[in-house]
Amino acid sequence: MGLTEHIVMRELDIPDISDFAVYRRHGGWEAYRYALTEKTPADIVQMVKDSGLRGRGGAGFPTGVKWGFLPKGVYPRYLLCNCDESEPGTFNNHQIIDKNPHQLIEGVALSAYAIEANVAYIYMRGEFAAAARTLERAIAQAYEAGFLGKNILGTGFDLDIYVHRGAGAYICGEETALMESLEGKIGQPRLKPPFPAVAGLYGKPTIINNVETLANVPRIVEKGVAWYRSHGTEKSPGTKCFSLSGHVNRPGNYELPFGVPLRELIESPEYGGGMKGGRPVKIIIPGGASAPWLTADHLDIPLDYESLAAAGSMLGSGGVIVLNDTVSAPYVAYKMDEFFKHESCGKCTPCREGTHWLVRTLHRMVEEGHATAADIDTLHSIYRQMAGNCFCLLGESAVMPIKSALQLFPHEFEALVKRSSSRNGHQIPLIVRH
Amino acid sequence: MSDVTLTIDGVQVTVPAGTNIVDAARQAGIAIPVFCYHPRLKPVGMCRMCLVQVGTPKVDPATRQPVLDANGQPVIAMMPKLQTACTTPVSPGMVVKTTTEEVRFAQRGILEFLLTSHPLDCPVCDKGGECPLQNLTMGWGPAVSRFDYNDKVHFEKPVKLGDLIYLDRERCILCGRCVRFQDEIADDPVLGFDNRGRNWMIISKSDPPFNSKFSGNTTDICPVGALTSSDFRFKARVWELQSKPVVCTLCPVGCNLTLDMRHDRLMRVMPRENAAVNDIWICDKGRYGHRFIEAPDRLTTPLVRRNGKLVPVSWDEALEVVADQLTLIRARHGGQALAGLAGPQLSNEDLYLFQKLLRELGSENIDTGIGGPAALPPDEIGGWLAPGPNTDLSKLGSGTVVLVIGADPEEEAPLYMLRLRGIAQRGGKLVVAGLRPTKLERSATQVVRYRPEGELAFVQGLLKAALEHSSRTATLERLAGWKELRAALERVSLNNLATACGLTVDGLNQLAKDFLTASQSLIVYGWEARSAGPALTEALAALMLLSGRTGTANNGIIALLPGGNSRGAIEMGVRPDAGPGYTPRKQRGLDANGIWDAAREGKVRAIWLAGVDPAAKLPVARAALEAAEFVIVQDLFLTASAEYADVVLPTASVAEREGTYTNAERRVQRSRQACAPVGESRPDWQIVAAVAQALAMVPIGGGRNGPIPVTTEAWSYMVAADVGNEIAAQVPGYAGITYAALAATGTGGSWGRQFDDAIYYDGTSYTNTEGVGLVLPALASKGTVNLTFTGKVTRFADERPMLLLEQVLAYDGDRHLRGSKLQSLIPRGYAAISADDAAKLNIHSGDRVRLISAAGEMVIPARVLADVPNGIILLPAGLADVMAAEIETGPRTRVNLAKVVTE
Ligand SMILES: Cc1cc2nc3c(=O)[nH]c(=O)nc-3n(C[C@H](O)[C@H](O)[C@H](O)COP(=O)(O)O)c2cc1C
Ligand code: SF4
Ligand code: SF4
Ligand code: SF4
Ligand code: FES
Repeated sequence: MGLTEHIVMRELDIPDISDFAVYRRHGGWEAYRYALTEKTPADIVQMVKDSGLRGRGGAGFPTGVKWGFLPKGVYPRYLLCNCDESEPGTFNNHQIIDKNPHQLIEGVALSAYAIEANVAYIYMRGEFAAAARTLERAIAQAYEAGFLGKNILGTGFDLDIYVHRGAGAYICGEETALMESLEGKIGQPRLKPPFPAVAGLYGKPTIINNVETLANVPRIVEKGVAWYRSHGTEKSPGTKCFSLSGHVNRPGNYELPFGVPLRELIESPEYGGGMKGGRPVKIIIPGGASAPWLTADHLDIPLDYESLAAAGSMLGSGGVIVLNDTVSAPYVAYKMDEFFKHESCGKCTPCREGTHWLVRTLHRMVEEGHATAADIDTLHSIYRQMAGNCFCLLGESAVMPIKSALQLFPHEFEALVKRSSSRNGHQIPLIVRH
Repeated sequence: MSDVTLTIDGVQVTVPAGTNIVDAARQAGIAIPVFCYHPRLKPVGMCRMCLVQVGTPKVDPATRQPVLDANGQPVIAMMPKLQTACTTPVSPGMVVKTTTEEVRFAQRGILEFLLTSHPLDCPVCDKGGECPLQNLTMGWGPAVSRFDYNDKVHFEKPVKLGDLIYLDRERCILCGRCVRFQDEIADDPVLGFDNRGRNWMIISKSDPPFNSKFSGNTTDICPVGALTSSDFRFKARVWELQSKPVVCTLCPVGCNLTLDMRHDRLMRVMPRENAAVNDIWICDKGRYGHRFIEAPDRLTTPLVRRNGKLVPVSWDEALEVVADQLTLIRARHGGQALAGLAGPQLSNEDLYLFQKLLRELGSENIDTGIGGPAALPPDEIGGWLAPGPNTDLSKLGSGTVVLVIGADPEEEAPLYMLRLRGIAQRGGKLVVAGLRPTKLERSATQVVRYRPEGELAFVQGLLKAALEHSSRTATLERLAGWKELRAALERVSLNNLATACGLTVDGLNQLAKDFLTASQSLIVYGWEARSAGPALTEALAALMLLSGRTGTANNGIIALLPGGNSRGAIEMGVRPDAGPGYTPRKQRGLDANGIWDAAREGKVRAIWLAGVDPAAKLPVARAALEAAEFVIVQDLFLTASAEYADVVLPTASVAEREGTYTNAERRVQRSRQACAPVGESRPDWQIVAAVAQALAMVPIGGGRNGPIPVTTEAWSYMVAADVGNEIAAQVPGYAGITYAALAATGTGGSWGRQFDDAIYYDGTSYTNTEGVGLVLPALASKGTVNLTFTGKVTRFADERPMLLLEQVLAYDGDRHLRGSKLQSLIPRGYAAISADDAAKLNIHSGDRVRLISAAGEMVIPARVLADVPNGIILLPAGLADVMAAEIETGPRTRVNLAKVVTE
C-alpha cells in the first residue's frame, strides 16, 4: 500500500525540492498565494477542519478544531511551530526541514493567515543548529519573493516568521513550557486553564502545532479536502511520517498513509526491511518513548490513532522503536526512565521524586545485580503513585516504560531477584553512592 | 460576587464564586493537605499534595438540563483523574471527595515522594515542631519508609542566600512559596529557580544577594526548615518558646510582633497577624532589628556624675539628685528654665507623663526629636485628617484612589509598601508622585514625576482642579489662611500649573476628579513632601477636605513621620505649642532648636533627654548640653549625650514593659511585657512618675516661683494601665481607648489566625490573641478641624546649583539596630548623585566629593545612582557617619558639589 505521491516528504518524489526555485516550480507557495488573494481566513480554517487533519505532535488533536478555540476578536495572536523534537525515537521534523523547508514555511505562513496572526515563531530544539540555518535561509528567500513581510502580495496581510533555538530540554516541547522558554523564562509547563488558544505566548491567544502538522496544510489547500481524505482512514486521514528505529534492517523515516499495519512498516522491503538477523520482535514502542509497549502479538494492528489506542498504546509522535529478543525488558525500562528522570523539569513532586526513585531502584536491580522481591512491589507503587497525578504529561509518560515492562515481562524482574538472592543472599548493598 | 453551593465529603457549603476547593473545604471544617498553596499567593498546583476527587452535575447536551437519577437527584460525573484542590475553583453542585481510598493513596504517595528526598533531620531543624511536612506526614503520610537511604541525594548546606537567610537545599521541597512571595507580595523578584529535576533549586538572583527588606517572611511561609533565619538558626526548639505580643516601634506602621522568648531571652521575632496593619508580614527591620533588647552595653543602673565621672548609684540616690536639682533650678530661675525632649519610640504613657510633669513644673519647653537645621514643626495635618475608625487597608481595592506623594514607603515605613501595593493589585488606583523614583512606583497605576520647581505646582494644580469639581468648601472657609490660598489659586492658570509640573490640564482634572469621586481616597506623604515646606501638605489637606469624606473609614491622610510613635508624641502633647490632643497652650514654649539657643544663653538650665541623643548629631546640642547646669539622660544606652549628663537613668526596652502606641493611621495598639527589665532599668513612665514622687518629697519651698505643685497622691500610678486610663480620660480624642478595648481581637481576621488556628497553612503561628488595636475616632469628623494655611515654602540661605535632600533609610545609624544581623546591610555614609551630574565633574562611585553650602561644607564619598534626578543630591542623614547638620540650612539645602582631588 505505497504512496503514489508523498504529501510531506516530497523530496522522495522531486529532487532538490529544498531549493526555492524547484519548490516554486512544483506549485510551491501557490496555495498560499491563492489563499491570500481568493480565500478568507475563515475559509482556510474550515478547509483544515474538513480535511480532518490531526496534530502530529503526539496527541492527535484535530487541528481545525484547535484553531476554532481562538476567542473572537482578540489580537494579537501568535502561531508557534513546535520543532523541539526531543522524544526518543522521533526524528521526522528534522528531515522535513532539511529536505523540504519551504513546505513547512508555506504551511506556517498559510496557517498564520488562517488564524490571523502576524507573527509566527518556529521553536527549534537547541541541537538543531544546521536545520535552523536551513530554515533561516529559506525564510529569507520567502521574504525576498514577497511572501513574507509587510502587505504581502498587496493584500494588506503582514507576517514575520522568526526561528528560535531552545537551550536543550525535552520539556520545552510541551506547549506551555515552550512558551515560557520563548519568553525567556525557565522552561516549565504552565497551569492549564487558561489554554494557549485563550492565553498563550505573552498572555495572548496562541496556536501551537507540530512541524509535520503545519507541513500538511499547503497540500490540503492546494489539492483540496477530498484528495486529502482519500489518504489514510476515516478518522485518521492523510499520511504520517513514521520514524522507524531499533533492530530493523532499514531504520529511517517513512511516510505512509494512516492505517498501514505495523507489520508492513517493519517487514516491507521498501520500509523496515525486516528484523536484523531475522531475530524475533520482542518490544514495539509505537509512538515515541512515552507510548505504552506492544509486543509481537500486535504486529497486525493498523497504524492509526484509534487502532493503537484500542490496543492500549498510542500513535504519539509516530516514532516506532522495535526491539528484538536480545534486550532485557527491565534494562529497557531503566534506560527509558533514565531519560525521563534526566528531563523532568522538577516542578511537581511525583515526576521529580518518582523518576528519581524509579531509576535508583532499577539501577540497583539491573546494573548492580541487587534486587529483592520488595523492589518489584516498590516499582509497582512508584508508578501507581505517579500515574495521573503529575502536573504535565512528561511525568505521566515516565510511567509507561516501567509499567509496560512490569506488566508484559514480570518474569524478567523475578529472574533478577532470583539471580541476586542466589549470588548475595538477602544482603542489602552497603555501598554509598553519589 | 455570587455564591456557590457545593458538597464536600457530604457536607454542604456555600462560598463566594471563585473560591478554590481548599478554601471552601476549610469553611466546611475539612482539611485538605497543601504544601505549595498559600492563601496569600496565587495557586500553582505544583506539589500535588491537595489531590482530591471532583465531580460536577451531568448535563444533557440536548436540553442543557442536569440529568437526574431515579430519586430525582442530579447525576454526578466524576472526573477521571484526581484534581488539585488548590487550583480548582468551585462550581454549583460540585461534589468533592477528600477521603476515598483513591485520594488517600495519592496523598500518601506524594508525601512518600517528598520524604524520599528529605534529610529527615528534624531533631536539629529549626522548623521541627511547627513544620507542615511533619504535621501532614502524621496526618496523611505513610507510616514506614521504603526508600533506600543510600539513594538519598546530598547537597552542600547551608547555602547563604543573603546575610539574613540560609537555604538548606536538602530540606527544600521546591514548593516555590518563597519565590512567589518575593514576586507577588514583596515585589522584590530576587529569588528564582535554577537547573531542573532533582537538581532544581532556589537561588538568589540579586546583588547584593537576597536584596529585599521583606526576606524574613519567606522563613515563615516555607513549609519546611529549608529557609532559616541567620539570627535564629539552631538557637532553640519552638516548643521551648513563649510568644509575647509586642508592637514594633521602629517605624510608624506599628506592626504586630511576637517576641518568642525562651525564659527571659529573646530567640526570634515573628509577625503577629493583624489584617488591618501588617497582615501576616513584617519587614526585616522589625524581625532582625530587636537585638538591642539584649545588647551587652545596655544601661543597668542609674549613674550620677561625681568628680566628673558617672558612677553607679541606687535609684533613690539618683532620684534625689534629680529632684533636688530640678527644684533648685526652678526656684532660682523659674519653670521656663527647664526643658525636655522625648524620642518618638516612647509609648503614649511615657510621653503623656513626660509632658505632664514638665508642664506642672511650669515649663512649656517640650519637644519630640532633637531639632537641628532640618527639623520640622509637628505634623498636624496627618492627625486632624487621619482616616477614621474601621480603616483597613487590606479591604481596599477597586474604587479606591491613593495618592502617595513625596514618600519612600519602602524605607520610611516598609510594610506600607506591601499594603499600598496590595490596594493596586486589588484594582485600586495608586498614584505615586515625587521628585525621584521609589520602589513603590513599580506597583503604581500612575506615576507623576516632577522637577523641584513643579512640586508645589502639582498639588496646587490638583487643588485648583478639585475646586472646580467640588463645592464642599464649608470646612475650608472656616480655616485661617484659606481665603488667601484660594485667592492665590485664582491668580494662576491651571495651564501654567500643569506645565510647571509636567502634566496636562486634562491630566490634572482627571486626577482631581478621580480623587473626589472615588469611594475611598487616601493621601500618603513622607519626608520629601514635608521638607518642601508646609504649603505643600496644606494644599493636600485642602484637597482631602474637598472630598467631603475626611475622617470616615479609609478616607484621610497618612503622614509617614520618623520613629514608631511620632503621632503619639504629638497627640500626647510632647510639643512646645500644644498640649495633649492638639489643644493649643496659652503660652508657647521653646522647640528643640529654641532650647539649644536658650541653653547657650543661660535661659534654659536643666535639660531632660528621654530616648533622644542629640549630641550624636548636632554640634549646637553639644554646646547647649555643655552650657546647661543640669542634664538628665534617660536611655537604653550610654549615648553620646550621656557624656554631658549629670544623671543617667536606665530605661526598660519595649520588650520589658507595657505600653500603647499610636501609628500613622492613628491606630492605638497595646504592647505587652515580654521579659523582665534588664538590670534595674525601668519603663520611662515609671521613671517620670518616680521623679514626680521625689519632687513632691523635696522639703524646700518654691521661693518666688511658688511651691512645687506635684503631689504624691496625684502621681501614684501603679501600672501602665493607670496611665492609660488617665490618657483615655484626659486626652481629647482618646476617650474609650482603654487597655481592655485594645485587647479585643475582633472578627476581622483573614482566615481566622487571630483565633489560634494557625498552623494549618505553614506551621508557623501568627496567632494574635492580644488585640488588634483601635483606630481613634476622627478629629475632623466633628467639624472642628483646626488647621492654618500658612503657605510657607522651604527657603534657602542662598542659591547654589544643587538641591540637597535628606534620604530616609530603613537601615541607618539608629542605635536600636545595634547588635543585629542588619549591621552588615547598613551602608557607610555617601552622597548620591545622578549619572549626568557625576559625568560633568568626572565623579565615580567611591570618589570623595565636597558639598558646600551657606552653612558649611562636608567631604563624603559619592555614589552614582541611576534613580537620582539631575541637580539633586541625596544625603542619608540618618547614617551614623553623616553629619548633615554641618551643611544644612533647613529641611532642604542648596549646595555646590565639587570633586575632591587628592594629589
Ligand atoms: C513532555 C512533552 C514533550 C513534547 N514534545 C513535543 C515536541 O517535541 N514536538 C511537538 O510537536 N509536540 C510536543 N509535545 C506536544 C505539545 O505539547 C503539543 O501538544 C503539540 O505541539 C501540539 O501540536 P499538534 O496539535 O500539531 O500535535 C510534547 C508534549 C509533552 C508533554
Ligand atoms: S510532570 Fe511535573 S516535574 Fe515532570 S516535567 Fe511535568 S511539570 Fe515537570
Ligand atoms: S525554600 Fe521553602 S518556600 Fe522555598 S521552595 Fe523550598 S520549601 Fe518552598
Ligand atoms: S514595617 Fe515598620 S513597624 Fe513594621 S516591622 Fe518594619 S519597622 Fe517594624
Ligand atoms: S498542588 Fe495544591 S497544594 Fe500544592
